[in-house]
Amino acid sequence: MRTSTLTVTLTALAAFLALGTGAHAYDGGPVADGGTISGTVVFDGAAPAPEKIAVTKDKPVCGEEKVSPALAVGADGGIANVVVRLTNISKGKPLEVPASNPVFDQKGCEYTPHVLLFPAGTTIDILNSDGILHNVHTTSEANTSFNQAQPKFKKKLQKTIEKPEMGIKVVCDAHGWMSAWWISQDHPYYALTDAKGAFSMGDVPAGDYDIEFWHETLGKHMDKVSVTAGGTATLTVKMAKK
Amino acid sequence: MSDPKKIDEEQKSRSVLFLLSAIALVVTGLWAVWNDNISRRPWKHYQHEFRQVEYERADQAFQNEQARLAEDPEYLKAVETATASRKSFDEGEGARSLSARQTELDELNDELATVDLDVRFVKSELEEAWYEYEHAKEIGGATEEKRARVDSLEEYRVKAQAELDRVQGEVTAVEEAMATLRASVTEADSAVTKLVAEAVSLEQQRDGLLVHVGGPLRVFKVPKIEQTILEEFDRNAYNQPVARVDRCMSCHIAINRKGFEDLPQPLTTHPDRELLLAKHPPEQVGCTPCHDGQGAAPNSTEQAHGHVIHWEHPLLHGDELQARCDGCHQNVENLPHAERLADGRRLFEELGCHGCHLVTDYGELTKVGPYLRRVAAKVDPSWLTRWVTNPHDYRPHTRMPNFMFDDDDGTAVAAYLLSVSAEESSAWLEEHPAPSGIDPANAALVAEGEALTQSVGCKGCHAFVAGERGPMLGASKDIAPNLSNIAEKTDARWIFHWLKNPRHYSPASKMPSLRLSDGEASAVASYLLTLGTKKAEPAARLAALDADATVAHGETLVRKFGCAGCHDIPGMESESRIGVELSTFENKTLDQLFFGERGDIPHTWYDWTYNKIKTPRTYETERIEQLMPNFDLPKEDIEALIIFLAGRNEEYVPKKYRYAADDSRQAQIVEGQRLVARYNCTGCHVVDEQGGFIRALYEETPSFAPPILNGEGSKVQPDWLFGFLQDPIPIRPWLQVRMPTFNLSNEETNTLVNYFTALAELDVPFVHVAADAIPEDHITAGKLLLSKDYFDCFSCHVQGANKPEGPPEGWAPDFAMAKDRLNPDWIVEWLHDPQQVQPGTKMPSFYPGGPDDLLGGSDDRQIDAIRDYLMILGTPRAQAATVLAEPPPDPNS
Repeated sequence: MRTSTLTVTLTALAAFLALGTGAHAYDGGPVADGGTISGTVVFDGAAPAPEKIAVTKDKPVCGEEKVSPALAVGADGGIANVVVRLTNISKGKPLEVPASNPVFDQKGCEYTPHVLLFPAGTTIDILNSDGILHNVHTTSEANTSFNQAQPKFKKKLQKTIEKPEMGIKVVCDAHGWMSAWWISQDHPYYALTDAKGAFSMGDVPAGDYDIEFWHETLGKHMDKVSVTAGGTATLTVKMAKK
Repeated sequence: MSDPKKIDEEQKSRSVLFLLSAIALVVTGLWAVWNDNISRRPWKHYQHEFRQVEYERADQAFQNEQARLAEDPEYLKAVETATASRKSFDEGEGARSLSARQTELDELNDELATVDLDVRFVKSELEEAWYEYEHAKEIGGATEEKRARVDSLEEYRVKAQAELDRVQGEVTAVEEAMATLRASVTEADSAVTKLVAEAVSLEQQRDGLLVHVGGPLRVFKVPKIEQTILEEFDRNAYNQPVARVDRCMSCHIAINRKGFEDLPQPLTTHPDRELLLAKHPPEQVGCTPCHDGQGAAPNSTEQAHGHVIHWEHPLLHGDELQARCDGCHQNVENLPHAERLADGRRLFEELGCHGCHLVTDYGELTKVGPYLRRVAAKVDPSWLTRWVTNPHDYRPHTRMPNFMFDDDDGTAVAAYLLSVSAEESSAWLEEHPAPSGIDPANAALVAEGEALTQSVGCKGCHAFVAGERGPMLGASKDIAPNLSNIAEKTDARWIFHWLKNPRHYSPASKMPSLRLSDGEASAVASYLLTLGTKKAEPAARLAALDADATVAHGETLVRKFGCAGCHDIPGMESESRIGVELSTFENKTLDQLFFGERGDIPHTWYDWTYNKIKTPRTYETERIEQLMPNFDLPKEDIEALIIFLAGRNEEYVPKKYRYAADDSRQAQIVEGQRLVARYNCTGCHVVDEQGGFIRALYEETPSFAPPILNGEGSKVQPDWLFGFLQDPIPIRPWLQVRMPTFNLSNEETNTLVNYFTALAELDVPFVHVAADAIPEDHITAGKLLLSKDYFDCFSCHVQGANKPEGPPEGWAPDFAMAKDRLNPDWIVEWLHDPQQVQPGTKMPSFYPGGPDDLLGGSDDRQIDAIRDYLMILGTPRAQAATVLAEPPPDPNS
């Protein structure tokens, strides 16, 4: 208990200091007549066959085989789990920590969702629906890395990610195939592509923006987008294997 | 008749002369005072300058605090409250009551004084009465009357005392009543006092900087010599201990005071005051033990800094200061600010400088070069002639220096080495027959061998490609040979047997055995034989190898150039060092350093030494031959060696000034470091926060890298470590990299065990576990905590023959080893926070957050139970422990 209070205090302090320096200050406020950016991310070339991973332990709970969640290309070539975000926005709608905590579940020895986006300062409810020993091992640079066991009796853990950070990798050391990504945001203009590769973000103040597409295996792609008041900017982006 | 023109002596006036001499005397007197107090005391000027700055800053701090208070709403409100409460008190009933009470108090105090006096008097009289009574009793006179007086006086005293107590009580009561009346005012005042406390303290600090001379007159403190006396620090010409006096702080007055970092020299704060001066307070240890200079002579900067003729230790600058660290510190590895000295010491030891040059405390080190008693069985003769002639042609980063032999001398040395080792070589060859199954043309075998060199750990020491760098000694030398052209040097037979067991060839080899099977050794040998090709020397040169004259000439050269300083050579066991002793090298004066014809080199100790190491024969002349070989060292390595050499002097710091002089652990650490360097443990492991070269290959999968050994001494039991170092067994079955078998001697193994124990600062390294004393509830709880329903430890941990599910790379160390291997205290520390003990470990944190239904939900007790259970794991008692029949309650249900 004492340790966790200290950690909370320290992280709060660190967050305060980070705000204090105001390196990438983002100004939140009401946005009148904002536009929308929507679009699709598609795979450039023939869609690769989904990679299969053999399950090596805890088969009664985990199953015999897993499909790698790393690169999921849909029927029309849409790529799921691409993180889309504006990189040069300094003013727009306020960044708010969600009213109910996002859920990050360990079910069938898979992480659901595979990519989780949230504002910095969000507390994540980590569930263990499997009822076997998992551990949640993050590798962070801006935030504190942790490696927390979640045994059978511990149905729920809570972790707060205080600082913005792109790409916190989450793995389970007990089940080597399990991996996920947490993306902690410093402004609210971000989206994740769905199974068809589609994304959309609203209330964008009119203006010209740099937009970044990031995928864990395909890397980064930068683009530009112009948003008009009340209008919709549509983008189709192709990403290929590097 | 007297001459009228002649004036009598008495009548002569000498007033002008007197006047002039008087003026001269006054002027001289004034000059003497001026010279003595001002011009020869430059430190007074500095102190005065500093006092002014100090006062200005203190005043500024006070002014700032006042200004802050003037705008502090809390303070303003408190003042307002205090004023208002005083006003309302003065104008209200309170003041009148207080005044009435004051009158009452005054009267009571008068009464108190009277009664008090009465009591004192009666006590005196009583003393007298007692004396008279006791005296009468003693001399046998009448006592009755005297006794009666005592009794009556005592009766009176009791009454008077009671009266005094009564009046005293009334006084206290009135005083308390008055305090109550004043309470509101007092409280408001104390609130104000609290808020101005900082300002008051700052004002006092400021005023304390001045001295009251009388009246309103205040002056700065009179400058005075600030000195530290180090008793018995030095020795005089008769080797008697004498004190050293450092007066440096007379000018460097703020060196150990925070807040003057921005001032120029000499008034500035020490640049690393918090670390260095906290450990070495100049008020206790002075300045010159680290900085050199002439600390007793503050009359001028030149004198104080020792930049005067005949002063042998002028002020040191920058990294040069590190030369002084090992005067007091035995262990300079990881010593902050001593990094270059540590580099220099390591270079000195590992380049084998001690093979030719004796240095106190470095005389007993092992020879650094390869064993040459069987060299004829190892190397290709053509290669040997080229190697001896110039080793840097074959391996640019070898530690072997270049003796700059011409071809004939090179051939002669090679001829001698081959001839002198012939006998032992043929004996060795007879015992080690040519292996079968080595085939550098077999691509599959070669690939297998290459893969082994990548996986079993060879790369912790060796590089296999030209230009690739393995772990380095200093800034340029390879710790172990680069094997990119090994086939040019040796053959399949030697490589195979060397891989199988290096100590069969060389009894004190640094190369360990990787416990390769014959098949594995053949594969590695096949791969190595693809690296480089044999090159034959001209037939004439090879023929000369067998000529007796060549061999005899070779022997002369080997003796002359001191080859036995680094190598074990038959017949040269009692050769002495050929170089000069360097134990007091720093004390060499310029007339003792021979500059030869190098007039262009500045005549300083530093420049002589630098050029000597850089180009060892640079001072050679037609008459004076020099023998030192060229190590081809880069500038930074030469500088590190110079820092090491600059500490080799006659000065001997007395024990009481040295760091942990009575702590045998320091010596154990230094001994251990030598072995760690010799066997290059840090090629694979991080030890004492250093090394881990091979980890670069495992950046993606750090769990496959050799373990980090920081804190190993507190983790494992020393007897287990001894056994493990002697005969390693796999602890982490998922690792492909292998802990090699070094075939260490008992002495070496003890040195390493002591080293780890000393690093962990353990006073009690061995820990006994009283298995019988472990309480039953710890065993049942421990067994449950490890089980599938709780922490499911066996999901990853091996227990003897019981292996976890899944591939070995997901496994964790064998619990069956814990009892013998681990220190129980370490297990507790580890379970509390594994990431703290070993950042990045796969072991997750289970605590805080243990289950509520075991041992009262106490994390500490559960951790103790796990530790205890591990200590008896596998015993009948552990197996018999009953676990709950029912599964634990689901907290969510």
